[in-house]
Amino acid sequence: MTQTLEILLSGITQGAVYCVVAVGLSLVYGASRILNFAHGSLYSLGGFLAWWLVAGGLNLPLWMAILILIPTLALTGVGIERVIIRPLRGSDNWKINTIMVTLGLAFIIENGLQLVFGPGTRTIPPFVEGVFTFGGISLSWYKIWICVISLSLVGGLEYFLSSTRYGQAIRAVSQDMQGANQVGINVNQVFAMTFALSVVLTGIAGVLLAPVFLVSPLGGWAPFLKAFVIVVLGGLGSTKGAFIAAFILAILESFVIFYIGPSWAMPAWLLMLILVLMIRPKGLFGVWEN
Amino acid sequence: MLEVKDINAFYGDFHVLHQTSLTVGKGELVAVIGANGHGKSTLLKAICGLTPVKSGEIILNGQNVTGKCAPDLVQEGLVYVAEDRRLFPDMTVLENLQLGAYTPAARQHEKRNLDRVFSLYPRLAERRDQLCRSLSGGEAQMVALGRGLMSNPSLLAIDEPSLGLAPNLTETMLKTVSQLNQDGLTVLLVEQSLALLKGMIDRVYSIEEGIVTSNHTDNMQEVL
Repeated sequence: MTQTLEILLSGITQGAVYCVVAVGLSLVYGASRILNFAHGSLYSLGGFLAWWLVAGGLNLPLWMAILILIPTLALTGVGIERVIIRPLRGSDNWKINTIMVTLGLAFIIENGLQLVFGPGTRTIPPFVEGVFTFGGISLSWYKIWICVISLSLVGGLEYFLSSTRYGQAIRAVSQDMQGANQVGINVNQVFAMTFALSVVLTGIAGVLLAPVFLVSPLGGWAPFLKAFVIVVLGGLGSTKGAFIAAFILAILESFVIFYIGPSWAMPAWLLMLILVLMIRPKGLFGVWEN
Repeated sequence: MLEVKDINAFYGDFHVLHQTSLTVGKGELVAVIGANGHGKSTLLKAICGLTPVKSGEIILNGQNVTGKCAPDLVQEGLVYVAEDRRLFPDMTVLENLQLGAYTPAARQHEKRNLDRVFSLYPRLAERRDQLCRSLSGGEAQMVALGRGLMSNPSLLAIDEPSLGLAPNLTETMLKTVSQLNQDGLTVLLVEQSLALLKGMIDRVYSIEEGIVTSNHTDNMQEVL
């Protein structure tokens, strides 16, 4: 019983972080129909920048590093949209073109990271240590904290989307782009804003997970692939779907890892994905019928 | 107020508007009449910055606004109401209306305009928290027009408000438009047939295959 509960809790804490990465990917796709293949490498970028600020030379406290990182990552997102996405939009096959271009960007970021930081892995010391035990269940404090932080980030995003004017504008663009244009929403600005939010989210996830999974230049592909599966399962473009799918898959993952083995986690995810898509082709909370 | 001079517009490779011109004076209700597929909607979209204009000029309040995008034109008071409504389906009626007042200029009058829309359509006040995807066609058209009014327009361009509506609903809708016009709003209206517009319009253009074929200004009585 306690063992099952422990596996469940470990799944939930993991799910919270997956959520942050996946919600960022889904947000951009929902508003602009762009599948950002550089999402995972931006996760690594966040981890490396944080490492550099905290341990790699500047020795800043983590909170200060995050205060520097947030605007840096947001500007990176705006820059990506402005420089490589916007010129492509409107041309024929722009959706495929943006996939190719963001894939290229992923390679550039990865190789840039290898060039600057070397191919090795890095780690950031966790900001809390120790283990929480209660009734035979033990869970590291750090995991509890990243769970809390992740949930606050996703909750904050949901609040922003549902209750602020800019958030409403993002939802308006994702529901009807021409309608958004008609009421005076600058669609380009909304795209830039979603990219900024998305890069901040994935970058911060990279920082949060650095003490657990380490950061490496190529380490972004696993979270990207996972985020992709989560987003498709939850329904492309739905942040709520991504939220729920992240927890379903993370809990599934922790049980599979415990009972079968770590290498079976991804096959289990894909099996789940196939099953759900067979029954509901648009995913759990898909926004679009087709 | 609005002067369109010799504009040409394309739908893909297809030349839709040929040297089209029209004018709308302050306080007028001007109609554009034509059959389906003859370029009425393209004309309206081109004026409102939703379809690119290849050549020609669009002058709004004495300013050349050719090539400006829709959000900029909304700021200037030129607001488009689409024939296919273009509501945000997963948002409530109230959220749709609030988004109508997205521009800073419209936001200043948000409360006043919302009261106006709700007094025009008490039904929308009742359904303020309902998602737009669950509205009937008539209600959706009310939200579309209401959202346009929330943008605080000085010129409202309405694309076939009767599309998909039952005859009695069409009549009410057009009466509302006429009432708005009498209250001082300038309106450019696109419709398929003139019969519905009897007695409410100041001038009418008819459009055939992208060409304005007639412009009746003074002899409205004869046309109707």
